[in-house]
Amino acid sequence: MISSDLEGVLPKEQIIHPEGEPHVLGNGGAQIIEVLSEEDISKVLAYANKYEKTVNIIAGGTKRGYGGTLEQADILLSLEKYKGIVEHSVGDLTLTVKAGTTLQEISEELAKSGQRIALDAPWPERATIGGILSANDSGPKRLLHGSGRDLVIGARIVYADGRVIRTGGKTVKNVAGYDMNKLFIGAMGTLGVISEITIKLRPLPKYEGLALLHFPNGDGENIRDFAVQILDSMMEPVTLEVLSPAMSEELMGKNAYTLAIAFEDQEKAVIYQENWVKENKPAAAELTVLHEDEARGWWMRFRHIGPNGHNDDDNEANTQAAFKIGTNNLDVIPAIETAESLASEYNVSVQSHGGAGHGISKVFIQGFPEDIVSFSKALRAKIEEKRGYVVCIHAPYALRKAIDVWGEKPAYFPILEGIKLANDPKRILNRHRFVGGI
Amino acid sequence: MFGKKSRKQPKDPLVRKLMDIVGENEVLYLKEDLVAYECDGFTMSKGMPRAVAFVHNAEEVSQIVKLLNREKVPYIARGAGTGLSGGATPLGGEVIISMVRMKRLLHVDLENRKAVVEPGFVNLKLTQSISDRGYYYAPDPSSQYACTIGGNVAENAGGAHCLKYGVTTNHILGLEVVLPNGEIVEIGEEGIPDRPGYDLIGLLTGSEGTLGIITKITCKVLKNPQGKKTVLAYFDEINDASQAVSDIISAGIIPAALEMMDQTAIHGVESGAHPVGHPRDIAAFLLIEVDGIEAGIDDQMNEIVEVCKKNHVREVKVAQSEAERELWWANRKTGFSAMGAISPDYLVQDGVIPRTRLPEVLTKIGEISKKYNLRIANIFHAGDGNLHPLVLYDARVPGEAERAAKAGSECLKVCADAGGSITGEHGVGIEKKEEMRFIFTDEEIEAQTNIRAVFNPEDLLNPGKLFPEPGRCVEVKRAKAQ
Amino acid sequence: MMSVDEKKMSAQTEQGMPATLGNFKWNDLPDENKWADCVHCGMCLEACPTYQETGEEHQSPRGRVYLIKAVAEGKIDVNEAFSKPIFDGLDCRACETACPASVQVGGLIEEARGQIRQAMPLKGISGAVSKTVLKGFFPHPSRMHKLGGLMKLYQKSGIQKLARKTGLLNILPTHLKDMEAILPEVGKPVLGRYPEVVPAEGERKGRVALLTGCVMDVMFSDVNEATIRVLTHNGYDVHLPKNQRCCGALHIHAGDRETGKALAKQNIEAFKEFDKVLVNAAGCGAALQEYDELFRNDPEMLPLAKAFSEKVEDISKFLYENGFKRPKVEVKTRITYHDACHLAHAQGVRFEPRQLLKEIPGVELVELPDADRCCGSAGIYNLTHPDMAGRLLERKIDDIPENVEMITMGNPGCMLQIAMGVKKYGRSEKVVHTVQLLDWAYEKEKKEAENLVNT
Repeated sequence: MISSDLEGVLPKEQIIHPEGEPHVLGNGGAQIIEVLSEEDISKVLAYANKYEKTVNIIAGGTKRGYGGTLEQADILLSLEKYKGIVEHSVGDLTLTVKAGTTLQEISEELAKSGQRIALDAPWPERATIGGILSANDSGPKRLLHGSGRDLVIGARIVYADGRVIRTGGKTVKNVAGYDMNKLFIGAMGTLGVISEITIKLRPLPKYEGLALLHFPNGDGENIRDFAVQILDSMMEPVTLEVLSPAMSEELMGKNAYTLAIAFEDQEKAVIYQENWVKENKPAAAELTVLHEDEARGWWMRFRHIGPNGHNDDDNEANTQAAFKIGTNNLDVIPAIETAESLASEYNVSVQSHGGAGHGISKVFIQGFPEDIVSFSKALRAKIEEKRGYVVCIHAPYALRKAIDVWGEKPAYFPILEGIKLANDPKRILNRHRFVGGI
Repeated sequence: MFGKKSRKQPKDPLVRKLMDIVGENEVLYLKEDLVAYECDGFTMSKGMPRAVAFVHNAEEVSQIVKLLNREKVPYIARGAGTGLSGGATPLGGEVIISMVRMKRLLHVDLENRKAVVEPGFVNLKLTQSISDRGYYYAPDPSSQYACTIGGNVAENAGGAHCLKYGVTTNHILGLEVVLPNGEIVEIGEEGIPDRPGYDLIGLLTGSEGTLGIITKITCKVLKNPQGKKTVLAYFDEINDASQAVSDIISAGIIPAALEMMDQTAIHGVESGAHPVGHPRDIAAFLLIEVDGIEAGIDDQMNEIVEVCKKNHVREVKVAQSEAERELWWANRKTGFSAMGAISPDYLVQDGVIPRTRLPEVLTKIGEISKKYNLRIANIFHAGDGNLHPLVLYDARVPGEAERAAKAGSECLKVCADAGGSITGEHGVGIEKKEEMRFIFTDEEIEAQTNIRAVFNPEDLLNPGKLFPEPGRCVEVKRAKAQ
Repeated sequence: MMSVDEKKMSAQTEQGMPATLGNFKWNDLPDENKWADCVHCGMCLEACPTYQETGEEHQSPRGRVYLIKAVAEGKIDVNEAFSKPIFDGLDCRACETACPASVQVGGLIEEARGQIRQAMPLKGISGAVSKTVLKGFFPHPSRMHKLGGLMKLYQKSGIQKLARKTGLLNILPTHLKDMEAILPEVGKPVLGRYPEVVPAEGERKGRVALLTGCVMDVMFSDVNEATIRVLTHNGYDVHLPKNQRCCGALHIHAGDRETGKALAKQNIEAFKEFDKVLVNAAGCGAALQEYDELFRNDPEMLPLAKAFSEKVEDISKFLYENGFKRPKVEVKTRITYHDACHLAHAQGVRFEPRQLLKEIPGVELVELPDADRCCGSAGIYNLTHPDMAGRLLERKIDDIPENVEMITMGNPGCMLQIAMGVKKYGRSEKVVHTVQLLDWAYEKEKKEAENLVNT
């Protein structure tokens, strides 16, 4: 029997009744439930499903500003305390972990065995693995290591009615049945609550290097030509990330477009590739090379730029938002240039970066709300000209409708809605958080 | 297509309607022609199709699908028919939509590292088409000489080099698909990643042709590695070889490929078309390839050789030329078929296990071989724990095929019990439907069939594949109750 | 009809062979073990020219093997629909190279064709081709030679009447014009004109017998002459047994295994005193090497056929393996090499002819892409399937590299076909046999040596 009262489902200590103003990013809940186990999740969802209570899902809160046109649901299900490593099989290079574990906690544990999750998503000490995968967040190193969809091999999902469904398995290769893992990556929690994740690991690199190429004249063509040249060489860069001048300024005090080229390999191979960059770079480009701890430190600072769900400013003039842009790989450069030029046009300040080898860019902006909205519309129009897309990955609740987080529905939207209804027929999970109001 | 057609007019009115869509010479309907479509690379299950229609574009596929929906006739999309689990095999009465005449390479954009192909384009041809500019398409199933990329997507094909580079799903950026309602949709337009919406590319890849018919594919292509080194390591004990596999990975090395073959398999390939001259008395060999920046390759290889030595390797041989390397790979890649040379029939299984469990699982497979008195050869992707036990039998000996099927199923049970899966790259198809129960509960299977129902509500598209028959489960329960 | 079958069947049963195999009910049953080797993997598909062109499973080696098996299992009958894909195959054997399990697809298809021809004797035009050419000419050297003479006359005077009388127009329905344009200047056949033994030049290394062939001797007697010169120059007595006959390849391909066997018997007899039988026509060589396959159901002939087949060798392989004399003078030319199907796929000879050519000083060998894809000649396939043959020829000519002067190969059928392509597509390359190039090098060397002596 499912209790008709939430307090009969879980102990009182796990239920919080929030007071005061709703959160500026929305996506809250009339009651916050902190789950400690999969069974807890299951019980809460079974209850919610039975009584048609809507449920928002949260953990580290770094994605709270990502999507969602409901200020609050009946329940805010928090997985923040549902954490820990379930199984780490060193010889198999696999890890099973609870969804509320932060990326940093995982990384620290794995480092003891010389391994890592090859995901360099931002804000690792706050962002949880469940949240990163649900939002399909990634970092510059996806160029070589792939993104969440390439790394997850299995999961335990709590479906809307509380049943636990396993997807995938614990082996790195597996084609038994549909590849259900994929459905939940990037689904923004609308198809079920990810409880446990089994993920492929990589060994920590034997040696790391980072070549930073500054292009003082900011000529996009130069950056493009060099990117093409290195992509067509047999070098194996782990990143080929273009940084806007403002982003470079913040990281290195250099107000110039910068190409961040990382190498991870045997030491000899890293040095060899750095030399290649040195020999082939355009004469005008200035080169800085960092190794090992210095390189890692640089990337850590890189991962701490932009909104994190906890650093929004009360001052309206400093309202912040963030966008994820998808383009053809090399269109990343014009996309970042577009963001630059629109920034001055709409009086917002912009920092941005994008991978010339993988096609994903991020744009962080600050300014007045109405300027942000206008900027976002202009940006989307420009990017869509080249068949790219723009998604708003962070904005205050009040702005999200005006910004139109996801853009136009795709032609195959009925399939998406069908999948939603197959998994969550009463639409209780993260309602209106996803494409087309799913 | 050629020669003179001196054929009777088809009696089946459906055939006429199909001809109206694709053309007179593009439909097969004579029993003698259709019999060749009774099965794919998996020969234990057979069924006669009603007709075979050759399509040339998405529009024709859409029209056929709409026609068959109206007529309530089931249908199957088929590529080269090299699949190993019966995914393209009719149960009986389906119309086969053959994709092999949609075989153009539509577009290559090396700067953005992608290529667009039609589904009937042969896997190896993609690499051949771009190799002069130093690029390749990574997924390399052993059947790559003949299999189509459309089929690869449907099955989420693997290959020897997916240890480092991933399987098909990691290399697909966009798809044009004809949905079972006849609608033509494009997902992942332009091959741009992470488009808003559920990951339908990920879902469709490996759905064994039950969710839609793929009519265009945007693939990721990669630049050739600067250097490559291939070695053969001969072991006197199979456990030493297995241990070496785990130790290599634990040492922080991800080889491009890490393959293993046991003694029975070695006898097979040495009797086949590409003998290498492996010693016949070794228990197993590892075929290891590392690639990457040349400056780092020797260090990687030295570490691997050290690991092998620690595990009592008898001999380590480095390929001295590209020709030698190619011979080693031909020997490996034709390994299954070469079993034809030492056994009239074989059944190949495709279990996956966490690679650390290799020694115990191989021992158990040895026990199964003894129990059923059938030879079992092992050729497999050791690096990712993907086993291919080949159960050798002779279908002409009464009862032997059934025994082989049981032995094969038992091998899968062993894999499932070791925390693994029943298929790593061949798919479930008809073959392993029932074995799905080794790893999934009824609820978990239902979660998947619910998704199928979203795309394919009438189950006309490739029916009877992938999932166990619900009826049988009830019967089993009833039998138990009694 | 029935009574004849019954007779044949009872004859078989007496020899302890099964009388029928499913719906195969005629003499000389196909070999079950050949399809038992096939595991249906599909590796052969893309190697097969007819599959490449059509994408139809039953037009692939795997499909054909499966169909043959289906007849044996009683699933389908031996009828027109079964016959079509079985006869549409080129018999190019590319599938045998591709097959990881070494399935003898070619042999199996020939056996099935034997069944079909017994079940459904040919009628109409194809019947006429078979009767006039295969039965009327090839088995009879004198008629072949006369045909050669007529061809010569035809070429010189253009008297078409005579050509019609020979039945030639009937057998060359669509291809006549193309063919006519390239027919080589017919020389005189070697067989009968040369002595039965042509002695070695200089130091004698041994003796060999040469199959002069039918098409080769009639159309390309200059190749035979070159072959004899090359062999004698290398120190071999060359024997040309007079009672040798056509190898029977075309008959076997066409399903007329009886005529094939009769010819085989005569050849086994004709060459019995020799240890080495050399062949410069790949199609003939492959057929001779497969006489054991032809007699697989004849316990009496089988051992003789086996012994004979082992003596047969392609000229290029023989020369290379026996340390042929390296020419000392330069023949400056850029060439390419086409792998005749029956040399590369059926006999596995790829390396030796290339090596022969490369070792002639001054010769630059440019590789032909997909060199071992069938040119469409395939025996008389270009006559029975002109459309498919034409498509394959076009692809072959397309592949020929720029700026080569000659296309070399080791089979007269290919020489005719490719010469036709060269003409048809307005190209200028010379089509030559591998040994011809070697011969020219030797001849040049001799001439220079003479000049040296004379001056």
